[in-house]
Amino acid sequence: MDEEEYQKMIKRCVRCSVCKWIPQVQIKSQKYASGCPAIDIYNYHPYSGGGKIILALAYEMGRIKPSEELRDIVYKCTVCGNCAVACKYMSTLEPIEIMMKLREKLVDIGCGPMPQQKTYIEAVKKVNNPYNEPHEKRMDWIPDDIILDPKAKVLYYVGCTSSYRRKEMAIAAARIMNEAGVSFNILREDEFCCGSPILRTGDSNTFEEILNKNLDIIESKGIETVVFSCAGCYDTFKVDYPLSRKYDFKVKHTVELFDELIESRQLQLTNNVPITVTYHDPCHLGRNAERYEDWDGDVVPLMPLISINIPPKPKRTGSKGIYDAPRNILKKIPGLKFVEMERIQEYAYCCGAGAGVKSAFPEMAIKTAKIRIEEAEDSGADILVSACPFCSTNLQDGIMDMNSKLKYFDISELILMALGLEPEKLKQATTEGA
Amino acid sequence: MLGKEILKEFQDIVGVENIDDGDVMTNAYAYNWCIEFVNYMEDKEPIPFSPIPKAVILPSSTEEVQKVVQLCNKYGIKFKAQSTGLGPWNQPSTDNSVIMDLRRMNRIVKIDVKNLYAVVEPYVSGAQLQAETMKYGLNIHMPGAGPMASTLASHTSMAGPGFTSPQTGYSARNVLGTEWVLPTGEILRLGSLGLKNEPDWYSGDGPGPSLRGIMRGWVGTKSGLGVFTRVATKLFPYPCHTEYVLKGHSPIYDFKIPNFIRAYVVDCKNFKHLEKSFIRIEEEEIALICSHMSSYAIMAIFSYTIESLMDKIAFGSMKSPLLIVIAARTKREFDYKQKVMNHLMEELNLINIIGTKYEPESLFYAECLRTNLGYHGFIATGGFQSAKGQCDSAALCLRAEMKNKPLKQKYIEKGVIANDFGEGAWMTSYESGHFFHMEAPTFFDQTNEESVKGMGEYMKESNQMDLLKHLGVPFFIEGDQLHNHWGPHLMNYHNWLRKIKEAFDPNGVSDSGFYISGNEGDV
Amino acid sequence: MIMNNNNFLQNLTKICGSQNISQDPKDLKDYSKDLSFLEGKSPLCIVWPSKSQEVTKIVKLANNLKFYVIPVSSDSKFKHHGDSLPKKDNCIILNLSRMNKVLSIDRKNRVVMVEPGVTFGQLVPKLKKKGLRLLLPLNPTSSRSVLSTALERDPITIPRYHWDSSDPLLCTEVVFGTGDLFRTGTAAGPGTIKQQQKMGQAQVNPMGPTQFSPFRVIQGAQGSLGVVTWATLKLELLPSTQKVYHFQSDNIQNLLDLQYELLKYRLCDELVILNNINLACLLKHNQQEISELVGNLEKYNLIFIVSGRGPLSKDKISYLEGDIDEIRAELSLNFSEPNVEISEKEILHFLNEPCEKPWRMRSKGAYQDILFLTSFEKIPKFISLMEANYEKEFGIYIQPINQGTSYHIEFDLHYEPENDNVVKTIKKKILDVGNQLMDSGAFFSRPYGIWAKDVFSHHSAETIDALKKVKKIFDPNNVLNPGVLCFDD
Repeated sequence: MDEEEYQKMIKRCVRCSVCKWIPQVQIKSQKYASGCPAIDIYNYHPYSGGGKIILALAYEMGRIKPSEELRDIVYKCTVCGNCAVACKYMSTLEPIEIMMKLREKLVDIGCGPMPQQKTYIEAVKKVNNPYNEPHEKRMDWIPDDIILDPKAKVLYYVGCTSSYRRKEMAIAAARIMNEAGVSFNILREDEFCCGSPILRTGDSNTFEEILNKNLDIIESKGIETVVFSCAGCYDTFKVDYPLSRKYDFKVKHTVELFDELIESRQLQLTNNVPITVTYHDPCHLGRNAERYEDWDGDVVPLMPLISINIPPKPKRTGSKGIYDAPRNILKKIPGLKFVEMERIQEYAYCCGAGAGVKSAFPEMAIKTAKIRIEEAEDSGADILVSACPFCSTNLQDGIMDMNSKLKYFDISELILMALGLEPEKLKQATTEGA
Repeated sequence: MLGKEILKEFQDIVGVENIDDGDVMTNAYAYNWCIEFVNYMEDKEPIPFSPIPKAVILPSSTEEVQKVVQLCNKYGIKFKAQSTGLGPWNQPSTDNSVIMDLRRMNRIVKIDVKNLYAVVEPYVSGAQLQAETMKYGLNIHMPGAGPMASTLASHTSMAGPGFTSPQTGYSARNVLGTEWVLPTGEILRLGSLGLKNEPDWYSGDGPGPSLRGIMRGWVGTKSGLGVFTRVATKLFPYPCHTEYVLKGHSPIYDFKIPNFIRAYVVDCKNFKHLEKSFIRIEEEEIALICSHMSSYAIMAIFSYTIESLMDKIAFGSMKSPLLIVIAARTKREFDYKQKVMNHLMEELNLINIIGTKYEPESLFYAECLRTNLGYHGFIATGGFQSAKGQCDSAALCLRAEMKNKPLKQKYIEKGVIANDFGEGAWMTSYESGHFFHMEAPTFFDQTNEESVKGMGEYMKESNQMDLLKHLGVPFFIEGDQLHNHWGPHLMNYHNWLRKIKEAFDPNGVSDSGFYISGNEGDV
Repeated sequence: MIMNNNNFLQNLTKICGSQNISQDPKDLKDYSKDLSFLEGKSPLCIVWPSKSQEVTKIVKLANNLKFYVIPVSSDSKFKHHGDSLPKKDNCIILNLSRMNKVLSIDRKNRVVMVEPGVTFGQLVPKLKKKGLRLLLPLNPTSSRSVLSTALERDPITIPRYHWDSSDPLLCTEVVFGTGDLFRTGTAAGPGTIKQQQKMGQAQVNPMGPTQFSPFRVIQGAQGSLGVVTWATLKLELLPSTQKVYHFQSDNIQNLLDLQYELLKYRLCDELVILNNINLACLLKHNQQEISELVGNLEKYNLIFIVSGRGPLSKDKISYLEGDIDEIRAELSLNFSEPNVEISEKEILHFLNEPCEKPWRMRSKGAYQDILFLTSFEKIPKFISLMEANYEKEFGIYIQPINQGTSYHIEFDLHYEPENDNVVKTIKKKILDVGNQLMDSGAFFSRPYGIWAKDVFSHHSAETIDALKKVKKIFDPNNVLNPGVLCFDD
């Protein structure tokens, strides 16, 4: 969002509070009407999407000064995007973009990011991952029997969290691709953090550096398709990178790839998996994974005070996220019963981990996870599934914290089960990490 | 900011994390929709910020609210209660104030299926309550402000017209037992709720006179006479099958239209015929929704963006549109209602353009049931507010609309309010046509100072016209200035209202900015 | 005793003329008692004003000369509640029965404007001619004031039209206890009534003006806050076709369950539940016929009417019948037919027409009523309580109100007035049972008679305090009907 648009848009919130809820027409119970973890936990209006627009305006007008209080409110948000979906049901405001711009402004004057986020940003700069793990250990997840093809045009971009914390997900993804006969390679020591955890804190300068480094590497290798098992990396490459620099290769999440492989029968799911499952839509695979469309139109004043966009300007409403692919997969697993939670797809409730919240505000991350887990329990499922290592970590932390009877699996692990292969049990639930 | 000792006392009531007197928080709460032209009308700088409260407090129970109020009395600080908080009426009138955000009071206390009422706390939204009552085949009255607004606030403190008013009435008339923290800190429980033995929620009146008459009128006191912490509101039969399924993605969800619901949009061609048709249709008691809107508004309710509104120019040529939605529980009921509508359309020479010239998205029906149609008012300029708001007969409402048109045109020509062909109105029937109200949604640009000033001038002139031409009382006659101006023309009601304020709020701590202050002046 | 009797009379005469004042001892005696068990004092005089300006002047005079004013709306000899008996010395009776104009009937807006002296006997046929009907209480006496009935929040027999507890009362013109004239609701202005009507207004919105609704505090106040000089009342259209349903059962729960569904889905108009005694009183006119009929009826009777109007009335009735049959089938309820034939005409008569003499008096010549509000599930409990504490037979009338959100329950104790022992017993019983009912949560929202004071002792102090504040605002010198409600404690 450019400065001019920002300055105009921050004056337009009507404080209707729809940003606090899922889209009004989708509300099916009192308990699961809310869409914003920040205000659910902290209650004060500024924690909502609209509230942050008001903070941005008050800041620009000089009514409030940079302070820890301001910083904390602005950063107590996973940038999940529910507020944007709910607001844009009718309006054209962009609460997330406004909030991100505000974060950038706070970073510019040294008032952000949060200290814990600064720590992991330094780690990324030093060792190319936010966990401050040795870069050399990034490949430790690979079992010996995984087949890689150095000449492959398909690159599996593993990501920091799967490499260091959720190795079972990386292993599962690799095994499935091998099983399907998909020829792929990995970047090995040339794989670095995608920059997502940095971007979300508002440190756009550092992010820009990372973006360029990663694109230089991938483009130099003649890759045609990059596959991600991490929703955060996927969203960053798909949506955020092209805003700064276009590229020619395709990006896919593993759920998209696996759905295609199942459809084309390259993968045959024959093993019975008699479980009842509900699926959590990761924000970065769902509503946030919708590309910005180029728009070269004009703002045409129709009459005083009313302008229209000709042609109509595309509005990111979360409708183009990846929702069908994971559901198709689950419905094709023999013996599996699939039930939905109330809040799904573009109005799914966040897991609580994103945008540096897991580091800076772990209690917020856990509280949010527990809200989501209770919803999963209420769906009648005994297994909670998702397709993101961040969600995986935080939701599993929540399950443990609440002593929930739910079990958690990544969708790739269920595919392995349906293929008759044993999922790796290398879960490393940790309270650290981005 | 509050003084240290006072802050500590508030903290002792609600907990440290539930009170914030920092600049950031208090400034954020000073912002609201339309406060810019309210400021202008009060000769203040037309910015979207009100006076900044000293603190924001989040009580979680009636007892905490009571203690906060008592403390306000002790220290002479005003309080302003708000819940979902849409609109300038949620703002304090002085910086010697605290805002009580009732967000933590969000329980549905009871849904009494057999006695057809629900009891809610302030932060239960209309959509939340409807979603729960639907499970029992019941429905609620939701205000036109939308399903995200507080049910309690609409019923106790604000206004209360709704799209489904032909069947669900007006908020003020749906109130039963009420729990009310008076400005003195006493807890008043209205009607059967005040019984010493087995208090209950089913009646808000008596013994003897009904104190609901003090609680509110056509509009509420907007936190000017205490804090309402729980209210019982009437429930109604859900108008059709309660199966409620939406597929697809935002914003154009695909709604599985329940059996037995149907929309009609007809053009009555002129106000005389509109009045006749409105009354005639409502006499038959078949409509879930029966609303007159400007042709522009008809375009808007079927649109989700300003661009898609332009597709609907066919509606734009309608002179006096009427939207009717019928819904039924059984096929025989539906068949009957359709037959009546066919008969009426023949009798009144009306043609339904739905199904002939235009077919709405299925989502339109979900929005009818969820009362989300009013929200479409924001798509033109992003800002709107209603002038007018009088309620009585259809004839009065239409006359007010007619008289308003040239006035509105004047401001449209100045370029300070948006051009909705000058007819912008929303008029709905209540209780099968027993009374009607109209308001004139007016689109302005809240970021444009000329537009804000223009809107303010237009509201002032519109109010004055209603006063001088005997066109009834608009919604927003509130605050000392307006009450003092209107009172002498309305039996000096302001004197009585002032006495009520003095009697129930002797220390003047319940913020009177959108109510009336006592003669002795406030703290 | 008033300081200067001559001065007082002179002033009154100046206001409304000597022909409209009476100090006839017979008249004074008539107004010092009614059919309740309360004893009143003798008023100073009876005054019959003919316009609201006179009422204003009289009330102002009362404030100046310190006498009390008790408004009554009719000359009816059937007053049962003691609310208009003088309870102090120095009272005058302000008899509004000569203010008896039907000021307007508005078919289009379904509203009538009446003065207080307009009676049911006068108004019902007038409205019928225009295809309109009042929302009636159960078989009101024809000499009864329509306006005061609405002011008393008497329950109406068509609960689906009872949108708010205040219905059918809309706007009023009222003289507060200060002597100030006021108009409530949209009648307040701007403009005079004529000016408003010129603009198309019909005084149909009772709320306001602005941020309070004084009509609600006047209603139920038993004339102790203001004297209403006219009011608008909601009307409905007269149906062209009516079909009567009469179900009986000895199990009240079955009838309650059915009426709940009917009312919830708005399937019927009139809907009442009566026990055999009260139904017999409504249908028959003498003790013998009543007794005979009682023996042929089941204990509880649900009567409801489905109606249609105009060319599609048959279609409407047909769909309503279909839906009702479906509900009955779902509930699997069986009801018996009466052993004697009761025609639709007989039932429609008591539901649509006023009666000459109170129907409750037909059984034994006199009655006392205990009336209160409650919720659906508590109805059987209160009936049992009453039966356990009152050995004799009594009438029961249950009226769902406010679209089924609460229920008016009425126990009518019929008795022979000549029998002193019986009278003594009933008097004691009413107090005892009344208190027991209150102890069990019965809500006496309309406090009358000898148990009026007990109502307030069963209610929260905050309510009483608030009501007293209201009294202080609208009648600071307590000139209007002192001694009623909680204002004099």
